[in-house]
Amino acid sequence: MNTDQILKDLQNIVGKEFATNSPEDLYIYSQDPGASLPRPVDFVVMPKTTEEVQKIVKLANEEKIPLVPMGGGLTLSGLIIPVRGGIVLDMKRMDQIIEINKLSRYALIEPGVSTGQLLAYLNEHHPDLQPAIPDAPPSATIAGNVLIHGSGYLSQKYGDHGAMVNGLEVVLASGEVVKLGSCAVSHYWFARGPIPDLVGLFLSSFGTMGIVTKLSVQIFPKPKFREIVFGLMKDEENIPNLLLEITTIDFIEDVLLGKQDKPEWMKGYIFFMVYITGDSQEDIDVKLKILKKTYRKNGARYMKAPQKMIDLYIEKPIFASGAADFRKGGGFEYVGANMPLERIPEAYRRGAEISRKYGIPPTLGSRLIGQTHNIVMFFSYSFNRADPDDMQNARNALEETNHLTLELGGIPWKGELGAQKLVLKKMDPNYKKMFFNIRQMLDPNGIMNPGNWSEEEN
Amino acid sequence: MALDDIKHIIHRCFRCGYCKFTHSYSEFNCPSYNKYRFETYSAGGRMWLIFGLMNNELQWSDNLANILYACSTCGNCVENCRFVKFNEFWVDIIEAARAEAVKNGFCPDKQKNLLERTTNPEMFNPYAEPNSDNEELKKEYNLPDKAEWVYFIGCTSNYRQKNLRDSTLRFLKKAKIDFTLIDEHCCCSPIIRTGQISPVKDFMNYNVEKIKEAGATKVITSCAGCYRTLKNDFEKFGVEYDFELYHTSELVKKLLDEDKLKFTSSYDKTVTYHDPCHLGRHSGIYKIPREVYKKIPGINFVEMKRNRENAYCCGAGGGVKIGYPDWSVEISKERLEEAKETGATVVSSTCPFCRTNLSDANDKFDMGFEVIDLIEILDKLDIEIINNELKK
Repeated sequence: MNTDQILKDLQNIVGKEFATNSPEDLYIYSQDPGASLPRPVDFVVMPKTTEEVQKIVKLANEEKIPLVPMGGGLTLSGLIIPVRGGIVLDMKRMDQIIEINKLSRYALIEPGVSTGQLLAYLNEHHPDLQPAIPDAPPSATIAGNVLIHGSGYLSQKYGDHGAMVNGLEVVLASGEVVKLGSCAVSHYWFARGPIPDLVGLFLSSFGTMGIVTKLSVQIFPKPKFREIVFGLMKDEENIPNLLLEITTIDFIEDVLLGKQDKPEWMKGYIFFMVYITGDSQEDIDVKLKILKKTYRKNGARYMKAPQKMIDLYIEKPIFASGAADFRKGGGFEYVGANMPLERIPEAYRRGAEISRKYGIPPTLGSRLIGQTHNIVMFFSYSFNRADPDDMQNARNALEETNHLTLELGGIPWKGELGAQKLVLKKMDPNYKKMFFNIRQMLDPNGIMNPGNWSEEEN
Repeated sequence: MALDDIKHIIHRCFRCGYCKFTHSYSEFNCPSYNKYRFETYSAGGRMWLIFGLMNNELQWSDNLANILYACSTCGNCVENCRFVKFNEFWVDIIEAARAEAVKNGFCPDKQKNLLERTTNPEMFNPYAEPNSDNEELKKEYNLPDKAEWVYFIGCTSNYRQKNLRDSTLRFLKKAKIDFTLIDEHCCCSPIIRTGQISPVKDFMNYNVEKIKEAGATKVITSCAGCYRTLKNDFEKFGVEYDFELYHTSELVKKLLDEDKLKFTSSYDKTVTYHDPCHLGRHSGIYKIPREVYKKIPGINFVEMKRNRENAYCCGAGGGVKIGYPDWSVEISKERLEEAKETGATVVSSTCPFCRTNLSDANDKFDMGFEVIDLIEILDKLDIEIINNELKK
């Protein structure tokens, strides 16, 4: 590889100041805040337009250089750290909110728009609308979130965030630009169909199928009142019944569950937070009564949670990154396991066992996705970034949890390379074959984030 | 603070990115991230680089020094970082890393000038001007050698923004404050911010001694940079003093609150206030200047979208003005564009650095504002002083 020439070419495409291979920039882009080991990067480039992305892709194809698109870089599982070197495309200069359609309730945006940016924009200009954003920090991008089948706010009510994608504009490995969803036929980006649904090819494929340069995501009406109803439960076996009953009531916006040893009063309990919404405080009060009754009926009890805790969880987004400092170490990573409801009690039990085995205080949580169609289970492991052994310990815990997830019939979400390999191992061979064939057809030179969703040794 | 002192903190930055934003996430509020856009230039990126340096995963280089110096140390990262147990240290860490750059011979040349000029016995200021012992000013304003108050002018007002200095002198006289001037040397803000800390303690001790010699128990400054340095940095460098410290806006507010000062003419303009980082985020003073503006008869006081803790830096701080003069003025241009949205014709601040940089942008980009310090506005007003006991 003629490094100097490629840098020059990249600088010609995006401008001198937005392509780099300085050791300092490469150092930052060779790692993420999770537990993955650093991996080398050759260039970082920040395109501003779809045309620039096309030119970068064409150059990469000619030179056979891997391309890794990056949003906020906050998956924690190293998805934006190149596996085989190459060019990281930091997409955050493509940050335009192109259209807010109030009637069809969608936002057409560029891939660098952060969740914080869209949230603030709607709060200011369309206060009756809200975006579906993850529990990640506000610097996470909307695109990054939906493209990994993200979840978070509004997931209980409307499903996972990947399901909220109406359409995409994608630069393929060939350099061609393709439109997917209703925008392929109409100038409205209002729906995913009704045409053969190829949007899914680009979800959870971690940049191996193409580089998204525009997307339309659903946005939602914002209720006037919102409150958290907190509860505790001793026996995790009661979780499925409680959740089934809670989700039968149709005013529930979100449901979060968790188990942690600190503060002391939480130890030994499953806590749950049910977000209710309404038109008035009276409306909320009535719903609160119904919920309390539902709690009692299902082996749980309502508890007035400390205001500090409520404030933390009512804020959008939740300061989930706080977990990084649980052990004053600056890092955490979790297995986000998509699980069937029936295996959740066991997941809590065995997840806590894994935590204790690795000497990490159990920090387990879960979110409902679309009533009880799916539960995202978080097995979180904090670590000390300054201690390589402690980071290895966290990686070991993550690996064991990936095995547990698959054993329980779940699937690790946005998994690191090891998790991807485990999933592929268990995957229906013909599904896998179809996936690899499509990928080979779209990307014959294998330049799109190679090493991800791969059975080859890295 | 030395880098060794932050070993227990530096790895705790998760690089989550809150530090880039305003409170509401409406904008990126970090000037250097806004310009460079690589993660490297966010506060988190810098913390990770410093961690890499301390681990020997990275070596000093001109580029690394440039990344560390291209930060206006405005404190937005401190304000927005959610890790409350240690977020107060981010700017101190940048300054400590710059001190390490200096030690290793990687202080950029332009910033080096600040130290050379400040330590030059003919100057004692970063502007390469012959040192003023302020005796001429004392004569001109008929000031005593000893007084209750010392007006610490600061180099920027004394050598560049002289109207700000003179307005302050006139105001203090009109307010019948018993004050004097000293043969001051630089407060050291510019060299502290750029990591050139070797002479700082001596300079601080010198100024404290001079204030003592003047018999003063109170010090007032019209410079937000001097104020922050005296308020925060003296203690960090282990230099103690027993005088009370006031920014001019604090004194004016006090006089107004005690009904000792009345404005008897009006200022019929639409004014917006730019919070200096030195006075705002670094010293926690937001309300006081606003209350003073709002007491001015005839004023139409309006706020910019980003204000108080969320204010956008003018771009002059942290050695950015001297190190990156063109970019520095572009940052001020962005601030003035925000001021345009308010309908204000006057952009006012309480800091000579902000005044300089905002004025430079105003002139360079023909923005059409009047850029003026609060004390300069007050200087234009007729005032009445009622039974001022402060004069003793």
